[in-house]
Amino acid sequence: MSMEYFAGVSDALRLTFVQVMIMASLSIGIFFIGMYINLKKWGMGSTGYGLAPSGSILTFPRMLAQQMSEHAHVHNQSVLETFVLDILFQRRILRRSPLRWFMHFTIFVGWMVLFAMSLAMFLVEMIYMIGEKAGYAHSLPEFMNPEIFREILSVPNDIFSYILLTGIIIAIYRRLFVAKMRESTIAYDSILLIGLTVITVSGFIADGIRTGRFWGFDMPVEWAPPASLFHVIISLLFCIAYIPFSKYIHMIAIPLALLANKGGE
Amino acid sequence: MAKREPSVNTQNLTAVQLMELDSCSRCGECVNWCPTYDASGQDPGLAPRDKILRWREFMNKSYGLRARLFGPKEIPEEDIEKFKDDVYKCTTCGMCATVCESAINTVELWESMRANLVKRGNGPYGKQGAFLKLIGEYKNPYMANNADRVNWFPKDIKVEDKAEILYFGGCTAELKQRKLALATARVLNKLGIKFTMLGENEICCGSALIRTGQYFINDTAKVNAQKNIDNIKAKGAKTVLYACAGCFRASMIDWPRLTGKKLPFKVVHITQFLEGLIEKGDIHWEKSIDKKVTYHDPCHLGRHVGVFEAPRAVLKSIPGIEFVEMERIEENQRCCGAGGGVKAGVPDLALGVAKTRVEDALQTEADVLSSACPFCKRNLSDGRDAVGAKQLEVEDVVVLVAEAMGIDLSDAPKE
Repeated sequence: MSMEYFAGVSDALRLTFVQVMIMASLSIGIFFIGMYINLKKWGMGSTGYGLAPSGSILTFPRMLAQQMSEHAHVHNQSVLETFVLDILFQRRILRRSPLRWFMHFTIFVGWMVLFAMSLAMFLVEMIYMIGEKAGYAHSLPEFMNPEIFREILSVPNDIFSYILLTGIIIAIYRRLFVAKMRESTIAYDSILLIGLTVITVSGFIADGIRTGRFWGFDMPVEWAPPASLFHVIISLLFCIAYIPFSKYIHMIAIPLALLANKGGE
Repeated sequence: MAKREPSVNTQNLTAVQLMELDSCSRCGECVNWCPTYDASGQDPGLAPRDKILRWREFMNKSYGLRARLFGPKEIPEEDIEKFKDDVYKCTTCGMCATVCESAINTVELWESMRANLVKRGNGPYGKQGAFLKLIGEYKNPYMANNADRVNWFPKDIKVEDKAEILYFGGCTAELKQRKLALATARVLNKLGIKFTMLGENEICCGSALIRTGQYFINDTAKVNAQKNIDNIKAKGAKTVLYACAGCFRASMIDWPRLTGKKLPFKVVHITQFLEGLIEKGDIHWEKSIDKKVTYHDPCHLGRHVGVFEAPRAVLKSIPGIEFVEMERIEENQRCCGAGGGVKAGVPDLALGVAKTRVEDALQTEADVLSSACPFCKRNLSDGRDAVGAKQLEVEDVVVLVAEAMGIDLSDAPKE
C-alpha cells in the first residue's frame, strides 16, 4: 500500500498517518499565527518616512508595494533581476565571501529541493490513495505510483541530502572553530543550526534504517517507521511552525528586504 | 490589572524597517567594515549588527508573542539610553548597507531610530541638540548672520539676479570654508556660465537635522526645504549646482521626501557639471598641477547617490596631476568620520575615523588628498593635523580645478 513506508507497516498505519496530518495542520496553524503576529508587529510601523504609525495588518504589504514601485537613486534594478540574482543566486553573499556563499547556497539549494521533493512525494501518495478509493488509480501514469515515484526520487534525494549536509558541516565548523564567529554566536544563531542539523541527520538515519545503508547503523528495520515519523514531525515543527518565532524568519524577511530595497545598496 | 505599556514605540519607523530588523542574518559583514566600530576600539555596542539585534529585542519584548500573551516586558531605561548613545555614534556613512547581505537600508534605519528616540525624549546626542535652535534662529548651524553668506564675495564675482543655473553654496562653504565658494563662483564666471545664488535667502539644507533625527520637530526641515525650493524657483533656475555633498544628497533625496513633491529643477553636483564641460572641450587648462593626487569619495556623494566617476574624471583631466587611488574607494570607501552629526556630537570619534582615512591616503604617497565636500575636507584636515602629516595637502576638487584654470584664489577669506 502506498502509505506503508511513510506511515507504518501494521494496523498502526492509519493512526500514524492521521497523526502526521494533525501535526502538519498544527504546524501550519502555528506558522500562520506567528506570521500574523509578525505582520501585526511590522504593521506597527508607518507607510512612509515620517508618517504616523498605522497598526493595520495591511500596513506592511502596502508599504512594501509602495517601496517596490518607487524610483531608487542608486540601484534601481528590476524585480526579476532581484529575484533571480539576489534572492535565488544570493550574489550579495558571493560578493562578500565565496566560502560563506558556498555554505549558504548549498544549505539553500539542498533544503529547497528536498522540501519540494517531499511535497511532490506527499502529493503523489495522496493522489494515488484517493485514486484507489475513487477507482481511478489504474488510469494514472506509471510514475504516479508512489513506489515508482519514490524510486525516481531516490538518487536526487541522496544528492541533495549530501549537498545540504555539506553546507551544514561548513556552518558548524565556522561556528565552532572560527574564533570571530564563535565569539559572536548567540542562542538565536545556535538554535537555527541545531534544528537544521537534527532534521538533516534524522532524515539520513531514517532512510538508512529503511534501506540498510551506512546511516542506519545496523538498527533493526522495524525502527524505520518511528524514525521516519520523528524526522517528519521535527521537520514540520522546525521548518514550518518555528519559522515566525526564530532566526528561520530570515527565510521570509531577507527576500522581502531585497525586494523592498531593489537588491540593496 | 492593566497591562504594562510597551517601553518603546514605533514612531518614525516604517513597516518595511520593522521587517528589516527580522531580516538580519547576523553574518557580521557590517562589523568588519564599520568605521566608527573600528575607531572606537571595537566597542561591541557600535557594531551595526548589535544595534539591529537590540532594537529587535526591544520590539519583541514590546510587541512579540510573549508581549501579546502576557503583556509587554519592561526595558530598563539605562538600556534604551545606552542604545541611544550607540546609535548616535554612527556617521550614517552607509558602508553597512553596502555590505549587508540582507540588503537592509541601514542608513534610513539609523535615522528613523534616532527620530524615534528624539520623540521619546532620549535623543539627540550632545551638541547636536543645538542644531534646531541655531537653524531655526540663524538659518544656518554656525550662528552666523545669514546675510553674510555671499556679501563677502570680491567685486569681480558676477552673480546674476536670475538665471537658469543656480549655485546652492551651502552653509559650510559660504560661511566657513569660503575658498570653496569663491573657487566655484570664479570657475563658473571664467567659463562664462551665467548663474545666480540665493544669498541671504538660502537656508540650511536640513542635512544636520535629518541625519540626527530632529527633522520633524516643528516641521523645521520640511518648511526650510520648501522655502529653498520656492526661492530657487523664483530665481528662474532649471539646474541647481552643488559643491557640497551633504547639501546635494539632502536636495536630491530628502527634499522630495519631506515635501512629498518632485523637485521642479535638476540637481547636479559641480563635478558632474564640470565633467560635462570637459567632455565638450569647454574647459581650457592654463596651469599644470604637478602633484600626486588621491580622491576621497564623500559618503553623501558616492555611496548615497552613486556619483563616483565625475570627480575622478575631472581630476584625471587636469594637466600634471598623477592620480592615485587609495585602497578603499567608491562603494567600499572608508568614511571621513564627520557625518551623521558625529563631528558635532562625538568629536573624538570623528577624529579617530579621520585619522584612519588620512593613513589610507598617506599609504599612496599622495601630495594631495582631495574630496568634493567641505565637511569631509574639514575633518580630513583635522585628521591630517592629528597624525602630524603636514606634507599632505587636503583640498577640494573644485579648488584644484580653479588653480589649473589659472584662477587666483589668494584673496579667499581664511578658514
